[in-house]
Amino acid sequence: MITRNKKFILILLISSLLSLIYFYSDNYKTNPKAYITNQGDNTVSIVDLITLKVIKTIRVGIAPLGVTILNKKNLGFIGNVGTDDVSVIDTRTDQIITTIKLNTAPLSLTSSPDESKVYVTDWFKNNIIVISVKEMKVIDSFKVGITPSGVVFNAKYNYLIVTNRDANSVEIYDKNKKLIKKLATGKHPFGVYTKGKYAYTANVYDDTVTVINLENWATEVIKVGAHPYNILTYNNLGIVTNTIDDSLSIIDLKKNKEIKRINTGETPENLDLHHKLNLLLVTNWGSDSISVYNLKSLKLIKEIKTGAQSRSFGDFILQ
Amino acid sequence: MRKFILALITLMFSMSIFAHGPTPQKVQESITVNIAPAKAWSVVKNFTDFNKIMKTRSFDDEVMKIKYEMLKKDGPFSDYNAYIIVKKGANDNESVIQWTARFYRTYKLNPPIPEGQDDATAVAAVKKIVGPGLASLKKALLSK
Repeated sequence: MITRNKKFILILLISSLLSLIYFYSDNYKTNPKAYITNQGDNTVSIVDLITLKVIKTIRVGIAPLGVTILNKKNLGFIGNVGTDDVSVIDTRTDQIITTIKLNTAPLSLTSSPDESKVYVTDWFKNNIIVISVKEMKVIDSFKVGITPSGVVFNAKYNYLIVTNRDANSVEIYDKNKKLIKKLATGKHPFGVYTKGKYAYTANVYDDTVTVINLENWATEVIKVGAHPYNILTYNNLGIVTNTIDDSLSIIDLKKNKEIKRINTGETPENLDLHHKLNLLLVTNWGSDSISVYNLKSLKLIKEIKTGAQSRSFGDFILQ
Repeated sequence: MRKFILALITLMFSMSIFAHGPTPQKVQESITVNIAPAKAWSVVKNFTDFNKIMKTRSFDDEVMKIKYEMLKKDGPFSDYNAYIIVKKGANDNESVIQWTARFYRTYKLNPPIPEGQDDATAVAAVKKIVGPGLASLKKALLSK
């Protein structure tokens, strides 16, 4: 005869076993989180986007900069420019599961839409390095133009889009590594963003954004604030970080014109958003923090202290 | 043992300083002055007047922040941009003045990095601007 106590223990055992299985399955979801690379202290601050608090700080390689989050696979890839490697984080446990040696400085990272590959720009040797997510190792690399900086994948056309900072250009590759198009941008294009039939580059030295139509290769230049680093779009708005102005430029994408400035922390560099939570996050290199905004109203909700020289170049939010 | 620890610390220190890659460098220092923030700001705001190698980019009276760029381009660093913020200290008659500089080393190509063009040289040169700069600011503030 099973007593009440034994029954209770049995239920407890089964439920903990089930939760363990669930935890390690691909369906397990934690709260949405942001992964902030702190280049000055070799760490990543993990911010819970429900409580808006740093829940963990983990040590990675030296001088982490780039990041890309694989939402379906629960993985975060962090590029360390000081140790020439990539730290891979399991976003369910927030622990490093492996480190992939590159032997060159990783500037930015992005994944293919199916999350089977991660592409890394190799700043010094002018390559795109391809990592297999399944094998967790480098499987390919190919030559691109000089100082490849930002890299993004356009899912509509299956294009890999790369900015070449010192060549003042952007290159567009197809999935067979073939160069489809090379276009002139403003001076020193760094961050790049793409959605639908458009791509956008933030041009640091001449305070502009270049808009590229991927259908007919037409380009247009928009004046923004001082030293823009990165850009993203939301509905009909473009949002740009102006590093030297400590502000965001808000662009009306119908008119391709700046319509508004929003204050940030010191030296804002990169940005990402969470649609469902209606949040926009900006990393502040100068004030070692992130600024969290209401995405619709663009009102500041909170500034959160992170680590030294917060940058997070890439998609840094686990949705 | 002590020697070993010292060597280890030196190694760790030089590793972080010499970490290559296109990494912006940061020098951030602050001083505390026994002057009310508003009064300190009125002096800090005009700081570039008596420092001929700098040019004010902008200033913000509300947050008491001045941004400036370097006009002199012959130092062992590049893309120098900095800002000075006046914050309230421990009491109403105390101000904390914080100076933050962002810059890069002069050599931006593939390693090896030539001597005198590395991150450490750039950081040392900027520290020679920020430290004495804050000291002269303090002097100017206390003579008011």
